[in-house]
Amino acid sequence: MKRIFSHMIHRLQMRESWIIFFILGIIMMTFPFLHIFNKPTLLFGFPLLFLYLTVGWIISILVIYLFMLASRHEDKTPEEKNDL
Amino acid sequence: MNNIVSSVAAISIIYTVLIFLIAWYAHHRKETGRSIISNPVIYSLSLGVYCTSWTFFGSVGKASTTGIDFVLIYLGPSLTAFSWLFLLRRIVRISKEHNITSIADFLSQRYGKSPWLGALVTLIAFLGIMPYIALQLKAVTTSFFMLSGFETGPGAFITVGTHTNIPIALFLALTLALFSTIFGARRLVSSERHEGLIAAVAFESLVKLIALLAVGLFVTYGLFDGFIDIFEKFKTINPVKFSQLFTFNISKNDPNYISSFTLLFLSMGAIMLLPRQFHVMVIENSDERHIATAMWLFPAYLFLINLFVMPIAIGGILTTGSSSGADFFVLSLPQHAGYRGIALLAFLGGLSAAAGMVMVESIAISTMLLNHIFMPIILKSTPRAWFPILLINLKRFGIFLVILLGYFYYRVIGDSYTLVNMGLISFSAAAQFMPAMLGGLYWSRGNKAGAISGTLFGFLIWLYTLLLPSFGKSGWVSEMLLSNGPFGITLLKPTELFGLTGMDLWSHSLFWSMLFNVSSYIICSILINQNEQERDQVHKFIGIFGREEAHRRIERKRLSKPVTTDQFVTLMSKFIGEAESRRALDLYYSNRDITGNGTISEFELPDMKRFTEKTLAGSVGGAAARAIVNNFLSDIGSSMEPVYDIFSSVRTNLDQNRESLFVRLKASEIINRTLDLQVIMDDLLRLLVKEFKLDVALIHAKSSAGVYSIASIHGEALLDANPPHWYLENVPFYDLVYRDQKAHFINDLRLERAAPVLDLTVTEGFISCAHIPIYREGEPVIAVLSLFSKTIAGLFTREFIELLSSLAGQLAQAITIVQEIEARQLERSQKEAALLQTARITRDMEIAQQIQKSFLPDSAPVIAGIDIAGRCVSAAHVGGDYYDFFLRNDQIVDIVIADVSGHSVGAALIMSEVRTLLRSETNSFRSPSNILETLNIQLYDDLTRSELFITMFYAKYDAESGILSYSNAGHNHPVLQSTDEFFSSELDTEGLILGVKKDVLFEERSVKLVSGNVLLFYTDGLTEACDSEGNMFGTAGLYNHLNTCLHLPAEKILDSFYATIHDFTGSQNLQDDISLVVVKIL
Repeated sequence: MKRIFSHMIHRLQMRESWIIFFILGIIMMTFPFLHIFNKPTLLFGFPLLFLYLTVGWIISILVIYLFMLASRHEDKTPEEKNDL
Repeated sequence: MNNIVSSVAAISIIYTVLIFLIAWYAHHRKETGRSIISNPVIYSLSLGVYCTSWTFFGSVGKASTTGIDFVLIYLGPSLTAFSWLFLLRRIVRISKEHNITSIADFLSQRYGKSPWLGALVTLIAFLGIMPYIALQLKAVTTSFFMLSGFETGPGAFITVGTHTNIPIALFLALTLALFSTIFGARRLVSSERHEGLIAAVAFESLVKLIALLAVGLFVTYGLFDGFIDIFEKFKTINPVKFSQLFTFNISKNDPNYISSFTLLFLSMGAIMLLPRQFHVMVIENSDERHIATAMWLFPAYLFLINLFVMPIAIGGILTTGSSSGADFFVLSLPQHAGYRGIALLAFLGGLSAAAGMVMVESIAISTMLLNHIFMPIILKSTPRAWFPILLINLKRFGIFLVILLGYFYYRVIGDSYTLVNMGLISFSAAAQFMPAMLGGLYWSRGNKAGAISGTLFGFLIWLYTLLLPSFGKSGWVSEMLLSNGPFGITLLKPTELFGLTGMDLWSHSLFWSMLFNVSSYIICSILINQNEQERDQVHKFIGIFGREEAHRRIERKRLSKPVTTDQFVTLMSKFIGEAESRRALDLYYSNRDITGNGTISEFELPDMKRFTEKTLAGSVGGAAARAIVNNFLSDIGSSMEPVYDIFSSVRTNLDQNRESLFVRLKASEIINRTLDLQVIMDDLLRLLVKEFKLDVALIHAKSSAGVYSIASIHGEALLDANPPHWYLENVPFYDLVYRDQKAHFINDLRLERAAPVLDLTVTEGFISCAHIPIYREGEPVIAVLSLFSKTIAGLFTREFIELLSSLAGQLAQAITIVQEIEARQLERSQKEAALLQTARITRDMEIAQQIQKSFLPDSAPVIAGIDIAGRCVSAAHVGGDYYDFFLRNDQIVDIVIADVSGHSVGAALIMSEVRTLLRSETNSFRSPSNILETLNIQLYDDLTRSELFITMFYAKYDAESGILSYSNAGHNHPVLQSTDEFFSSELDTEGLILGVKKDVLFEERSVKLVSGNVLLFYTDGLTEACDSEGNMFGTAGLYNHLNTCLHLPAEKILDSFYATIHDFTGSQNLQDDISLVVVKIL
């Protein structure tokens, strides 16, 4: 478990993955992707779209949190410091 | 009723005082150096200034009218947060480096410090923010009256005392303006952070979050039974509305419909580009590292504050039965339910949201106004003593102006718009900065013309398609214009520009403004070239992140008349006050190790100019600062002229800033001044230590035994006094440098655990170090240059290392040259010594030759009846040939001819020994064989020792009897010829060469010579003489020639022989010695 976690942290260090997540977020916030959830139905008693956006939001915050951990990790390796 | 008003007003005032105290406390803490706001949580909370009363009240309003799409306004920023680690950190870093004061300053500086761009951005921000401030005032005023149960409206008054009526909105506006002035415009230096303000804003962010969560919990779990209960009730009671609110509206007939993409786009831009956001994010950022935390904490904040918006909205609809008045559900729901405490909290939350936004926004905009609108006008006049007072008051005036303008907008527009729509107008205005901002950060070709034209077009379209229609609903602008277009031209109708129909107001405006903005920015940037100033700035903004831009020009100005530092102080005092400028200057000098008050040298001046510009930029903005300093310099009567010529010799393709150019110049001066390596190294280290504020610099060289020794050191006294010394820890680095020929550096020893442990170095107080190889391309490392700093972490940037490597290369070049010169000198002196030696030997040899020659008889003895002549011509300087005559009495003469093998000095010495031995026989009348035998015994040891031999022919002639008795020790047989008859014979006897055997018997023979006989004694040089083709003269040649010259006297025979030999060999120099003795019987 710990290994998977550190492996994931390592993958997140790549700048590409930042950009991919950013673009993914935009895609998920726009049509036609939104169409899937754009239905007036209740799921577990929550409106589908409300649930989608809320859960999606929480996930995105978690992803950024992991990114931040990754970037802290990255800061400890000297060669990347001036690379921004 | 008045009681309620008073109590609400009282609570508002108490709350305001509380905020004031918090702000004051934070400010006090900062003054005493113990900042409370420098932490990532406070930073994240201060970013919450994004959530204004629009969020607080308007989200619910929007949620209950158009549904869940309100959330996009907060999802956008959450998405943007992904980019902060690159984008925001970059902006913050640049801003800190250049003392940037606002977004207008940022854009202006990026595009060549353009004053026009700064003014344009300020104008857009100023006008664009007006509806936003109006919105805040409207929200607070409305909520105030709702809470106190009064009629609402922009003209509402509260009665103070009995007669004075003050519009509550105006009262609020003035209070906020006052607060902003106290905490935002205390001092003129606007690049300085306002800790009091940020503390207040962060606190307010917390209050509004708590208030909204409280109301949300109250509605969700007090009035209803949780989320699911609300949603399910709503779906059963009003399924049509449910479907409308919980889906993104695709039907475009709804006047309130806004495309989800537009909302997302606008909010993504607004989070960074709104002046207040830029202010709290960038200008008020105290530590870059806080950004990482804010990246997730701020979206989490947004998430929490919006969590209950939907339940409140639906709860409101379910309770009141409709969505009218939904903008204030947050307040009205608890109030109507009778929970005044929660309602009051909601009011304070709304007040907090509005106050925080208005304060930060007004300060940000007033800074921009001062720097980009007022300042350029003021600069036209001569600076005066009262300028600092004028400037600070202008800034305060700006704050009032911004807030009051918002107030008037509110009075005009009034209630014709919902809160959200008013906010979106501002968002659209801020979006116009996006192309210039992103392009400015990542596209080096983006130029001033593009930025100005793009922003201007975008702004005009925004003005026409969005701001103008917003006035329309209030009746200020004719309805005709809005519905039919100007002059009845429907194509130019503001809401359907160029016939674009079917889009909502916001998407329509966004589409056209972005289209013109982006395309104009790109087209102008591509078509028009950047000027020098722009390129300079581009480099500072983009180049500092590693991208090298080739062929950048170097700006260096020269004054024809010296300027004193006092003049600069006077100049700065006019804008920021005397004390402030003295302090800045002291700091500057303390960083540069030079003393003040003198005149400024030409080298110092550009730095001084830059420093002054930078200091002033912190207060008046970059563009104005440049204008001030340039005006000042031209005013004091000095013409500025470019002095490229000085630097042409050292300018390279590499991009270099002035400091590095200066150091390069100095370094090449040092290197070219002398050939003394020690002086070069010492001076170079002194230069580096002085210019880059280093603490220790040393050069280590490795001996052939692999031991490092210090070739030169600067910055610390003798290091080898007390081993083990800290620098010894660095030896592994030297090995590394020697091995891979690369620079190795550690930018912060406290943070990075270096592979070789550097504990002593750290203990010594060093925090960064670098080791640079001194070598020429393609050659081994000569030495290592090591630099240590105790003060500056992160000193060794890529650029700096490149500069140092280049200097090390120069030094290596110098070392190689010096070494080559030394090697050449050594070689020359060695050659000279060798020549001298040869000359001495030659001279010795000549002397030896002369001595040897003197050993030979000067003249032949004169004896009646015979004619004798002898001669020796040596080939080398000294030879081994020998002939001699010993006259025993007037009748008897001994004739000897000998040849010692070899032509060495040894041979000559042996020859002289032979002579001595023979001379001692002068008075003896022993026979030739006897003499040879004795001689052989005497010489045997010497000859064996020196590995030499002697051939010798010994003859004794008695003139009386005419008998020649002779003995031979391996010598060439003398030739006997007669002039009368062609008789010829060779004289030969048995006998070994001298020095082969000790006891040898020599045969002796005799022959009777008669008149006409000619006897020729010779050495092998004669017969072995070669012509150019290698043919030897031989005995045949000897006989032939002898026959031709028998009739000549003895002396002439010799002459003719030597002449013939010279002719035969074709050369004046003989290969071997030739000795001839001729005896002619008369």
